[in-house]
Parts: sequence; structure tokens; C-alpha cells
Amino acid sequence: MAGGSKLSPALQALVDKGLFDRLPATFSTFFFEQMQDWETLFPAERNYHERLFTLLDRSDPAMVEGLFEPLRRIEQTMGVNEKNWPRRHFTLDQVDFLNRSPRYPEWRKAVADIFARLDPLLEDEITRAGHSRLVVVIAPAELPVGPDRMWLRIRQHGKRIPLEAPEDVGDYLPLLLTGAGRKDAASSIAAKYATKGEAYDAWAVEAGGSLADAGAERVVALSYERLRDYRARLMSEVRHIVETQEVRGPRQLSAKLKDLKIRASEGDVSRDPVLAEFARAILLSGNGTLLVNNTFVEWSTVQAVRRARPSVAIVSFGIRNKIKPFSSLLIYADQDTTNPIPTQMDTLGTYVDLEIFYQYIWQEFEKYAEYRRNTAYLFVGEGMDELLAIAPPDFPLPAATKPTKLAEVFASMKDWMNL
Amino acid sequence: MFALSKRRFIQLAGLSIANRIVPNRLCGAAKQASAGRKVIIVTFGGGVRYAETFAPEGLRNIPRLVEMKPRGLFFRSCANAGVLSHYNSTASILTGNWQRVDDFGFQPPASPTIFEYYRKATGAGPTDAWAIATNKSFSMIGAGSGRDLGQPYGPNLVLPKQLLLEAVQGAAAKNADAGVANRENVLRHLETILSEGYEGVGWTIFKAGRQLDRAVRETLAHALVEYINGPEAPSSGDELTFFIAREVMREFAPRLMLVNFWDMDVAHWGSYSLYLQAITKTDRLTGMLWEEIQSNPSYKDKTTLLILPELGRDGDINAANGFLNHRSGDASCRNMWMLARGAGVPAGDIERPVFHVDLAATAGELLGIKAGEMTGRPMREILS
Repeated sequence: MAGGSKLSPALQALVDKGLFDRLPATFSTFFFEQMQDWETLFPAERNYHERLFTLLDRSDPAMVEGLFEPLRRIEQTMGVNEKNWPRRHFTLDQVDFLNRSPRYPEWRKAVADIFARLDPLLEDEITRAGHSRLVVVIAPAELPVGPDRMWLRIRQHGKRIPLEAPEDVGDYLPLLLTGAGRKDAASSIAAKYATKGEAYDAWAVEAGGSLADAGAERVVALSYERLRDYRARLMSEVRHIVETQEVRGPRQLSAKLKDLKIRASEGDVSRDPVLAEFARAILLSGNGTLLVNNTFVEWSTVQAVRRARPSVAIVSFGIRNKIKPFSSLLIYADQDTTNPIPTQMDTLGTYVDLEIFYQYIWQEFEKYAEYRRNTAYLFVGEGMDELLAIAPPDFPLPAATKPTKLAEVFASMKDWMNL
Repeated sequence: MFALSKRRFIQLAGLSIANRIVPNRLCGAAKQASAGRKVIIVTFGGGVRYAETFAPEGLRNIPRLVEMKPRGLFFRSCANAGVLSHYNSTASILTGNWQRVDDFGFQPPASPTIFEYYRKATGAGPTDAWAIATNKSFSMIGAGSGRDLGQPYGPNLVLPKQLLLEAVQGAAAKNADAGVANRENVLRHLETILSEGYEGVGWTIFKAGRQLDRAVRETLAHALVEYINGPEAPSSGDELTFFIAREVMREFAPRLMLVNFWDMDVAHWGSYSLYLQAITKTDRLTGMLWEEIQSNPSYKDKTTLLILPELGRDGDINAANGFLNHRSGDASCRNMWMLARGAGVPAGDIERPVFHVDLAATAGELLGIKAGEMTGRPMREILS
């Protein structure tokens, strides 16, 4: 393998016997390129690749040929050849080639059709090995609305549960996530699960930095706030690259960004190469993850679901700051330092932003067989006296006639996860 | 302090009241051009979905368009069947052919634009065709790569945001403590840019003669300084684009103009509220552009305004990340609307699907010129 990254023996054997060379170029090259970074892939990704290509290898060759025949035909009409599509190299040039092809919509459909046939087979295995999963999505206390205006896009899928909120709002999240008050500093549900789960199986993604305190070593803790030094350096370096015109355009910029890895002093995730690369990719994905705390939280969560398939995910949003005059022109500038106007919270804007993010996050989990029919989603607003639960019927949250205590919610989550 | 800076700016930039007076031959060109039908194409842009505009739940974001619609011709389905990048989408609108060139503006369109056809067919001068674009990668969008037409027939092209960006970046880089919100600071750098030259910092003014370039530049630069100092100081690229477009209309009264709005692409930042705010702002600016048409004698009753998004954004269901992006190719990305309003345009709702490439062909017919080969077809409903 190029790049010095070693595949699993099973997958390497499939490469050696020429499986990838027998598949259509646009399909095999994409996956081959992804596998180049084998050592920075999550176990769930490795497992997926192995299952996918093992399935193709063990299937009837005529059936495989028939499955890929429409894609081959479209590749021909697109003019895919060895020159514009070198085997085993998938770069932004190939993305560009696809995007600009008049046949791109047909190509997308052909690929979607292939997965429409493969996914049910692959998902069967997943479903058979299914287990309970838990997702807690927390909105910040400063939102200017009550629970009656929360989760409007998804509430029809779940049930609003009345809560007995503690007098001290500072105890709200500790009671919910640990079952005890702040002063007890008990282990969180994520930390408890992490001790028995696999690596990368419990995640805490947050805009602030409070969840990480309650975490344990095996919880993947990603905090926008705690990555501040890394973010600042990335913005500075990207701005330097762009301003000094070291790159011609986004494609060249993308190659340069690959080298901007997190340093040991910039965050704990630097200790784990898989997470270090994950953080780099999240922050430099081209969207607003460098600039907007909640975009970081949403995109990190979506990517964690796609790539790592965690069993427990605690997702905590914050309040976004108001965008300052002129700052929209400075994409890679730290607004706090380049603009002397005091930073102000945008609580109403945050509320609007989060309403759609709740939907996106819930939808993303539900795309995957791992989560369907066995995941409890609890949408919580810090300090609020209601939560929204979207969960299978056997999730043990009381069918409350009176408000439920947060410690009881914690106990239900613990039961659900067999802890 | 403010006035002092402004005076100093004007001195340094070499601007004076005398320079505000447009050379006679410019005035002549503007008058001559005003004789015929005028066309203004507005890309309601940066990527916006039906869901946030003319879908029932989106109407609250676009009060000005809603107000304009009953007296305009509304095409319910105007589809982008091309590449879903801003540059290729807008270039398709301008050329009448689906463009598949570099997404980031490093290549001119592969076929001639309506600007080229118009100027070639009528012999119109460079001040009679303008493109004003918030998207700063649009410097090559005005003219195609063909040999027969090309740059000599292209429009005057202004990238106001790039101009301001240079100033803001200069201010931020050289005086980080004071910050970019310090307007004095920004102005100082704007001065430097304007006095140093404009190529590469936001201006691709047609080179029909150095004297003409200077006159055009100075006229607009002066107005820009007034604007930035004034009570309606811009806070976004689209506001700047609107302002430059209005100045161009007042000073040069071109017959053909593209106004490219783009700020709603802030959606890439992942803030739905900022995206909605940008839509509402673009709606307001489009309404103000219509007001300018109505109040400007060079435009009133002789102008057709064509408003459309150049592309949508990914749908909320089963897309990569919904409104943040616009590459999935789903219906939410491709299916948009088009609103025509103005001289000779009947009121109504049109069910017949039309395409982005039909815009250039329609503009050609409105201007009374014979354009070259185009995939798009004139929208007969507008022309009848």
C-alpha cells in the first residue's frame, strides 16, 4: 500500500488477488484511496471495508458483473480512462471530473443503485449483532424559549417527558449524565459505558468544555473550546497560505491542509492518531467548523456517526456569538482578536440554528442499521422542565404522570445500556 | 476625525469633484443606450432552496419578492441541469449553454456570454454592459474563451467585495490591536488600494482606453468612499454590490447588467439563522433595485428584471448535510424559480418548466439581438 499504511491481512489478500482491478474504476479507486489511510480509520470503517469487499469477493462473479454493469456503461460514456482516472489514485481532480461531467446525475444514480442492493446484505449482519444505543443532545441554558418551542422539527417522532428540574441549574447536567449532583463528581453515562465498550464507542462532543471533565480516558472527548489553540493556529496558517498565494485554488489548498496536524500541546486528541486526524479533517472540512461552535458540534457528531458508529453519544451545543461587521469577509480570522467590538451572544440565532441541527443529527443516526429500532434519543435543554424522548417502546423512561427526576432519567439510560 | 480622514482619502486617491463629472462621451453613450429595452439579470444568489423562498413556509423570508410577484411573471420551475457550482451555474445563465469549466473561476466560460453577443450585435460601448458580482471568483465570467468574440466584447466587471476585502485584510494585518471594525483603519487601506491600482483587487474594467478606465474607476471609487462613510454603511458584500450596481445605473445607464448577489452562501458556515438573514437581506436589496428601476428615468418602463437563484442547496432529507452544501444534485439543489418583472412582462404563474440556460436566449430576444448557438430557448411567455 502506498503511504505506508498497512491493510488488514484479509483485505490485503483481496487487493493482491486483483478484486479492485476487476471493479469499475470510479468505484474501486474511491475505496482504495480511502483505505490508504487505514491506520487512521476507525474500527467501524475498517470493518465496513472488509465486509463490503469480502461480500463482493465471495459473491457469484456473474452477479457482481451484473451489479456493476450499469456503472461501467456510464463510465464509458463519461470518458473514464487510465489517463484521467489512474487506478488507485482518487484526488480532488477525480471529484472535479465527476462534478463537471454531464453524466454525473446518472453516475450518482448508478452508484446509489449498487448500494441499494449491497446495503441490505451488509446491514443484515449488523442488525443481527445489534444492541442498545443512546444519544443525548443537550441545548444550552441561555436559549430564549421554553420547551413548548423546542424540537419543533422532530417532536412528532417522540414524546415530551415532564421533568423535575433541580433548584441549582448547575446540578442539571451532572444529575442527568451521572445521576448525582455536581459536587459528587460521579462518572458519566458515557464514561461508564466506555469502560465496557470497544474503543471509540462512547463520545462526548461539545461546544464548551464541561463534559470532558466528567469523562474517562476511553471516552472520545471533542470540545470546540478545548481545541482553541489548534483552531487559532489553523486559521493563522490557512490565512497565511491564502494571502501569500502559495496555492492556486481550493484543490491545491486541500493538499496543503493535510499537513496541518494537531500538536501535543493543542489537545488530548493529539495522543491518538485516529482522533488527531479526525479533528484535523473536521476543522478543515471547508464548512464553518473553525468559526462556529455549533457547526463544529454538529459536523463532528455527523462524522462520528458515519465513521465510528458510537454506541453512546453525548452531544452538547453552546451559544453562538454574533457575527461582527466585516468579519464575514475574513473567513480565516479570529473574530475575537481582529475586531474590538465586544463579543455578544446570539441566543435567538442559536435557537434557530439548533432547531435544524436536532433534525440533522437524529436523521444521520437513523440512516444506519446500527441505530434503527434500538436507539434512545433524549433531547434536553439545560434547565428545562421537559425533554423530548424518541425511543423504542421498551426504553424504560417512566410513562410519567408526574415530573420525572433527572436522576431517574439517568437510571433509565443506565438500564437501557445494561450498565 | 471622520471628515478629516475622508478629505485626506480623497486627496490621496486623487479624486476630486472634477473627476465625478463623467466625460462627455460617456454621457453620450449612456443616452444613446437608453433608447432601447434594458435587461437586468439578478442572481438571487449564493444558493437558496425553494423551501426558504417560494415554498409556503419560506414566504416570510422574502417579503419584497412576494410583493413583486403578483405583478410579475413567475416561473414555478426553473431548473439548473448543469454543474452545481456558483461559477458554472452563473456562467450557464449568461451563456445559454451548460458550462462545465473550472468550478473556481480559473477559466472563462467555454462559450460566448450574452454580453458579447449584445455588444457585437449592437456596437454598444463598454459602459453599456456591466457585471457586478459579490462572488470574488467571478473575474473571468463576463466573456467566453472563443476567438471570435471574447474579452473585447465583454462587460465591465466589478467585484466590490474583493475591493473591500483587500482593505479589511490590510487593516487587520497591519493594526491588529485596533481591529477591523475601526472604519478609519479600513479606509486607510482602501485609500492605498485605490491609489495603487485596481487590477487584481476587484476590478476588471474593460480596457477600451486608459482614460476611460480611470474615469470609470474614479467615479465609482468616489461614490464608494461616500457610501462607506455614510449612514448606510455596508455590512456585507451584497450591500456593496447593490450600491455599485445602483451607481452604475445612475452614471452609465447600461442596457444589459448582471447583478450577482452571493451572501446567502454563508450557509456553508452551518448557521441556519445567518442563512435566513442573508436571504431576507438579498430580498430587501432586490426590492431596492426594483425601486431604483422605477425611479430612474433611464430605466422606468423600459427595463425587464429577471430574478433567479443560480442554484439551490441540498435537501434536509438524506443529503450530506442539508442546507450547508449544494452538491448532492437532488431536486432541492436543482429546482428553482424565476421571476420576471418590468416592461412588457405580463403578470401570471407559469407551470411550464424552464431552464437556467433559457435566460440568455430570452435576454437576447428582449434586447433585439441575434445571439449565437445556445442550448437554451427564449421564454416565449415573457416575450409575448
